[in-house]
Amino acid sequence: MENMPASWKLLLMLVLTASCGRVHAETLDPSPKPPASAPALSANMRKVAVLQSQNSTQNVQLLNPLNLSLECSLTADHDKLPNISAFWSQDGREIPDSRLSATLEDQQYHVRRLFYIAGEEMLGRYSCVFENGVRADFILATPPFGEVRDKPVVSYGGDFVVLPCKMEEAKPKPLSWRWFRGNKTHKEQISEQPQRFQIHSEERKSKLKVINLTHEDAGVYYCGAVYAIGTTMNPVELKVITYQEPLKPFIGILIEVVLLVAVIFLCEKRRSKKNTSKGNEENPDQNNINLQEEEKGAEEGSSTRQRRV
Amino acid sequence: MSSVAAEPPHEQQAPGGKRIMSPAPTDAAEYKPPDGGWGWMVVVGAHISIGFAYSTPKALSIFFKDIQEDLGASYSEIAWISSIMLAVMYAGGPVSSVLVKRFGSRPIVIVGGLMCGVAMVTASFGRSIVYLYLSIGIIGGCGLCFNLNASLTIISKYFLTKRPLANGLAMAGSPVFLCFLAPLNQFLLGDFGWRGSLLILGGMMLNCCVAGALMRPVTPPRNSSAAAAQKIMEKTTQHNTSKKGRCLSNARKFLDLSFFKDRGFIIYLIGNTLFIFGAYAPIVFLSAYAVSQGVEEYSAAYLLSIMGFVDMFVRPGTGLIANSKWIRPRIQYFFGFAMIFNGACHLLCPMMKSYAFLVGYAVFFGVGFGMVFALIFECLMDLMGNQRFPSAVGLVTIIECFPMLLGPPTAGLLVDIFQDYKYLFFMCGAVIMSGGLFLIIMNIYHYHMLEKEKAEHNGAPSQDAENQDGVSLSEAQRESTEPETTQTNGDPQDPSPDDTEPDVTDHF
Repeated sequence: MENMPASWKLLLMLVLTASCGRVHAETLDPSPKPPASAPALSANMRKVAVLQSQNSTQNVQLLNPLNLSLECSLTADHDKLPNISAFWSQDGREIPDSRLSATLEDQQYHVRRLFYIAGEEMLGRYSCVFENGVRADFILATPPFGEVRDKPVVSYGGDFVVLPCKMEEAKPKPLSWRWFRGNKTHKEQISEQPQRFQIHSEERKSKLKVINLTHEDAGVYYCGAVYAIGTTMNPVELKVITYQEPLKPFIGILIEVVLLVAVIFLCEKRRSKKNTSKGNEENPDQNNINLQEEEKGAEEGSSTRQRRV
Repeated sequence: MSSVAAEPPHEQQAPGGKRIMSPAPTDAAEYKPPDGGWGWMVVVGAHISIGFAYSTPKALSIFFKDIQEDLGASYSEIAWISSIMLAVMYAGGPVSSVLVKRFGSRPIVIVGGLMCGVAMVTASFGRSIVYLYLSIGIIGGCGLCFNLNASLTIISKYFLTKRPLANGLAMAGSPVFLCFLAPLNQFLLGDFGWRGSLLILGGMMLNCCVAGALMRPVTPPRNSSAAAAQKIMEKTTQHNTSKKGRCLSNARKFLDLSFFKDRGFIIYLIGNTLFIFGAYAPIVFLSAYAVSQGVEEYSAAYLLSIMGFVDMFVRPGTGLIANSKWIRPRIQYFFGFAMIFNGACHLLCPMMKSYAFLVGYAVFFGVGFGMVFALIFECLMDLMGNQRFPSAVGLVTIIECFPMLLGPPTAGLLVDIFQDYKYLFFMCGAVIMSGGLFLIIMNIYHYHMLEKEKAEHNGAPSQDAENQDGVSLSEAQRESTEPETTQTNGDPQDPSPDDTEPDVTDHF
C-alpha cells in the first residue's frame, strides 16, 4: 500500500470517504499534501527530507510522546534503477527489520517509517540510509536552550551567587524546572535546602541561589527544562574564589601607580632645584625671588597666579 | 603700571580672518604657551584622563548582566548606573571649573583619580542597586567630571599653535581606552567575577593620578613689576567688593551667565546641543539594527569595534589637519562640515542592507564621529580663549547633559512606535545635519557682524571696557601692553609673524 502510485491512493481515499457519507477529517493524515502516510496508523507529526546527492540533517523539536512519521525522498540520478534498498538506523545502529526496497516513482525513491517516541530514551539521531550512501539524519530532541554560557560564573567564598536559566519566548514553555549538579554522566538533583540552595522558578525562567559558598560548591550545575518527553539540560559552571585573588593584581597596580607618581614628582623637584640654582647665578635681583616663589607655588599645585596673594 | 586690556568678549574669538597680528611681546605677563616640550607629556596625561572619562561608562556595561542576576535588578534599573555616571560627569562641569581655576589642574585630576578608584573599590562590595548608584554613579561620575574638565583646561594652557593637534591626540584617548577596556573587562569577568573586576578596574583608574602628576602647572615667565601690580589690583578689587557683591560674584563663578551674551558662544552651544542629541543613539542601536537586517550577532558587535578603531586614528588626524595653515583660521567651518558629514552618514544608513555596506557605514561613521569629537573642545577653546575656557566648558557640559540623556531614549521611542530602525537614523541624521548647517551659516553671519563691529570700533578712538563684570575683568587684566586696535584675539593666536598672510583678513 505504501508504494501505490499517488493517483491511486487519492482515488481509494475518495471512495472510502464517499462510502462513509462524510469526511472524517481526523482519520485522514493532517498534513495536506500527497503522498499521505497510511491512514490506518495516524502520525501526529511528519518530517520529510528531500535528498539529491548530499546528506541532510534536520532538528526535530519534540515536547510530548507521539507517533512520528519520518520520510526520505531521494531524487533518482541518471541510472534510474527501478529499485533501491535502504535502511533505518538509530544513533548509528541499524534498526532490525528496517531494511526495505524503494521503488522509483516520479523520479524519486520514497522511504518512510513510523516511530512511536515514548520517552527520553527514544530521542536521538534517526537516519535513513540509502544503498548509494546518501543519508538523511533527523535529530530528535527537546527544545534546546538558545544561549549557552561559555564563561564560568565566578563568586566568592562566604558570598551568595545566583545562577540563571532562561528559555526564550520563541521556544515552548517547559512544564517545570529542575536543577542538577554533577558531570555529563552522573547528575544528582538539587533539592531546596533553606540554608544552602534556593530555587525560584517562573514559566520561562529559573534561578538557583547558592548561599554561603564554599570551595566544594564549585563545579558544573545543570538547569533542566522539563517537558513531557524529556529534559533539556543547560550547563553552567561555577567557580568559587577567595577575596585574595583579585586583591593581588589590585595591589600590584596600586604599587605601580604610587611608584610612577613618586618618580614624576621627584624628577620635577630635581629639575626645579636645578632651575633655581641656575636662576641664582644669572639674576641676582628681585626677579629671582619671584621665580623661586613661583616655583614653589607650582609645586603646591596652583596654576592661577593672580589669585595667589 | 598695567593697562586695562579691554577687549570685548565677542571680539576675542575671530580667528576667521583677524590675523592682523599683534607683536605679542614675550615679556608681557600674558604668557606665551610652551607649545611643546613638557606639553607633550601633559597630552599623554590628558589622553589617559579623558580616555577613562569617556570609556568607563560604556565599558561598565559588560558587567551589567552579572550584576543584574546577583542583585536581582531589572535591566532598566541596571542601565541607570551608566546614565547616572554620565549625567553627573556632565552636570558637575561648573563645579569642576571653579575648582580648576582655584587650584589648578594637577590636584583636581589627582583627586578625580582617587575618587574614581575609591568609587569602584567600594562598588565591588555592593549588596544593593542603590549602593551602586551612589558609588559608581555619583562618586565615580564626580571623579570623571574632575578628570575631564581639568585635562581640557591644562591643554589650553600648554598649547596654542599646536592646540588642535594636542586636542586631537588627547581626545583620541576615548576610543583607545574603549578598545582596550572592553576586552579586558571580558577577561576579568571570566576570571574574577564582577566584584573582583570592579576592584581591579578601580585600581586601574588610579592611574588617573599618574596622569594628574604629569600635569605640571605652567610657570609663565614674569617680570616683577607686573606681578606686583597684579597682586595690588587683586587686593583692591577684593577689598572693594561688598559682602553682597562677593556673594554674587561667588555665585557667578559657578554659572557665568555672561557667556550667554556672547553670540559666538550661543551659536556653538546650539550647534553642539543638536549634535549631542543625535550622536549617541546610532551607537546604541547599531548592532540591533544590523541584527534586524540579518547579520549575525557576533558580526554586528564587530561593527562597533570597527567604528572605534577608525575613530582612534581619525581624531589625531583631524587634529593635524585642523592645525594646518588653511584650516586653522576656518576651524569653526571645519567643525560644521564634520557635523554635516556625520549627519549625512546617518541619513544614508537605512540604505545599507548587506553586511559589506554596513561595514562601510561603520567606517564612515567612525570618521565623522572622530572628526567632530576631535574638534568639539578645540572650537570652544578657539572661541573663548584660555582664560574663559574653564568656565565655558563647565557651562557647556552641564547644558549638554540634557540632550545626551534624552537622545537615546527618544530614538528608542521612535523604534518602538514605528517598529523600524530607519526612522531613528533619519531623525539622528537630520538633527546632526541641521546642527552642522546652523553652525556654518551662523558663523558666516557672526564673522560678518564682527567685521562690521570692528570697523566701527576702529573708528572710535576711545578704548572702552565693554565686557566688564567683576570676574572677567580680573582675568582680562593680563598686563597687555599691546595696542588695542590690533588686539582682536584674546590669545595671541599665532605668535610667529610668518603665518600672517595679507589675504587671510577676509575669512573666505
